[in-house]
Amino acid sequence: MAATSPDLRADAGAAPANGGFLGWFLAPERRGALLVTPALAVLFIMNIFPLLWSFGLSFFNFRANRQGVPDFVGLRFYERVLTDDDVWQRFQTTAVIVGSSVVLQLIIGFLLALMFAKEFPLRRILLMLVLTPMMLSFVSVGVFFKFYYEPTFGLVSWVVNHFTDERFVMLATPAGAIAGIVVADAWMWSPFVMLLVLAGLVSVPRYLYEAAEIDRASWWRRFSTITFPYIKSLLLLAVLFRTIETFKLFDVVYIITSGGPGTSTETIAVYVYRMAFQFFRTSQASALAYIVLFVVIVLTSLYLYAVRRRAEEVS
Amino acid sequence: MAELRLDGVVKRYGRTVALDGMSFEVGDGEFFCLLGPSSAGKTTTLRAIAGLEPLQAGSIAFAGREVTGAPVQGRGMAMIFQTFALYPHLSVRQNLAYPLARDGKARDEVRRRVDEVAELLRVGHTLERRPATLSGGEQQRVAIGRAIVRRPKLLLLDEPLTNLDAKLRHDMRTEFKRLHRELGMTMLYATPDQLEALTMAERVAVIRDGRVVQTAPPRDLYARPDSTYTAGMVGAPMMNLIQGRVRHAKGGATIELPFGALDAARWGDGLRAGDEVILGIRPHDVRLGSDPHALSLRAGVRLTEPLGDVTVLDLAARGAPLKMVLREEVASRLKEGGEVEVSFRPQDAHLFHKETGVRIG
Repeated sequence: MAATSPDLRADAGAAPANGGFLGWFLAPERRGALLVTPALAVLFIMNIFPLLWSFGLSFFNFRANRQGVPDFVGLRFYERVLTDDDVWQRFQTTAVIVGSSVVLQLIIGFLLALMFAKEFPLRRILLMLVLTPMMLSFVSVGVFFKFYYEPTFGLVSWVVNHFTDERFVMLATPAGAIAGIVVADAWMWSPFVMLLVLAGLVSVPRYLYEAAEIDRASWWRRFSTITFPYIKSLLLLAVLFRTIETFKLFDVVYIITSGGPGTSTETIAVYVYRMAFQFFRTSQASALAYIVLFVVIVLTSLYLYAVRRRAEEVS
Repeated sequence: MAELRLDGVVKRYGRTVALDGMSFEVGDGEFFCLLGPSSAGKTTTLRAIAGLEPLQAGSIAFAGREVTGAPVQGRGMAMIFQTFALYPHLSVRQNLAYPLARDGKARDEVRRRVDEVAELLRVGHTLERRPATLSGGEQQRVAIGRAIVRRPKLLLLDEPLTNLDAKLRHDMRTEFKRLHRELGMTMLYATPDQLEALTMAERVAVIRDGRVVQTAPPRDLYARPDSTYTAGMVGAPMMNLIQGRVRHAKGGATIELPFGALDAARWGDGLRAGDEVILGIRPHDVRLGSDPHALSLRAGVRLTEPLGDVTVLDLAARGAPLKMVLREEVASRLKEGGEVEVSFRPQDAHLFHKETGVRIG
């Protein structure tokens, strides 16, 4: 054996018989690093480098559609972004969408979880159907809802027109447009909240409900003293996770309303995109993107804190 | 008057029969025990009485009222679960006050009742803690407290001592007896442990495959088991059960056993020659030394099990195993592998039909 193929451990010290550069290069002590390198390279090129580069750009006066060496401007773009009324307007729009969508997801997800916590015929098939929206891509969800809201042949307008004679254009008013986006996002992500809540519901031991029944507790009391404590931390996880995700909402908004009418549905993510790729204020967009990143990092730490607390409770 | 009456209760889970015509009566204020091995139907019986299991047949009456099919809440019973089932997110105080919430009592009244129960069960120092931080014994007492706090007419106890260690079990047995005396409520206690049944209950129902096979006060159950099943279940160490055959000889009927013949005059004419029987003799009734009025035999000492004050001897006589109990001083003089002369008297023996297991005489 050793004569034909070198023992894997034998080449650790001395160079193997067929040695040379390749033997040195593939030595066992280097194999771990070699296996990790491609992944690290991709991560660096696709994530870390752009991240650092754009961070650097946010301190220079740079526009991607102009040539020339950019000037160093320090924190000027951060100052400009933070004092810009438009930016605060976009943050507000985002907050409204995040708030309503997360609340709607919680309510629907919670009710679905209560429904699916019990056994009933066709439960598995229905559960699969209910989970489908979550697995669709953002783009297809955006396109679905764009067609639903379409004023001439869309389902929503068609139904409303049965009751009123006026032509109904869902996305024509700011409120209608925001509602349209919220409904699409909630439709897509309520199943996610349901999954988390369902996990909490099934972890409640049955005998506690039986004990409570014998102790003559009302439905509400059983819920508030037994069920809710078990799903509390999971609900918090759901809220934080969905807040972080909805905060970054882009695709669905871009496809359904592109931020309109006017700028009434322009979320912060859409605004960053337009600033960067329509107005080519690259550095200013970078600065704003970093402010958004900061907000997301704060939310994420809250999320991780909640995860840890849940882990402690379960153990 | 019977406080609780079960009449032909049947419960099936799919094709498995859990309760197969369970019937018994419990008197007002009685400490009644259901004794049976696991999966005999004890827990299902308690759950059926509490209303947690819908029945396929039979009826349950409680306090002079038919409760079959009635909702759990209205039955006026409390139950202690094997798992204690304390509410993990509530403090001990909130756990104890839980069953009182429905009655709309004043806060002071609730507080007073909780303190009273906590003192009775000696868990006063744990009131502000969560159940998970308590020891097993404390959790057990809180579970009892929660069950008795609203003074139910009937307390159902589902193997409440199974999850405790031996020392604690002993203490809790005394505790249950004390509580029963002090509170005077009807108690229905399910256990697989004959010792718990014998020490606490006023009457015991032996359960087998979802039905009652014998109901009697502990003393009678021990003295006159109805069947080999009860005989094997009650008493420790377990009763010796030896196969034999009835034979008519000149001097009258005898029972032929592997190691000799026992005079069967005691059982009179009930025995026919050739009947296959099982003879039961309690280890405590096997004596050392021979006796002219008894069946004497020589047996080899296979094993000794010292229990402190007494020692259980595992004997073999002509291949038939036989256990006996001796005081430690006596037993210490015997050696494993040696031989002893032992005897037992007909009046101490129990006789059962081999085929049916039913008692004769």
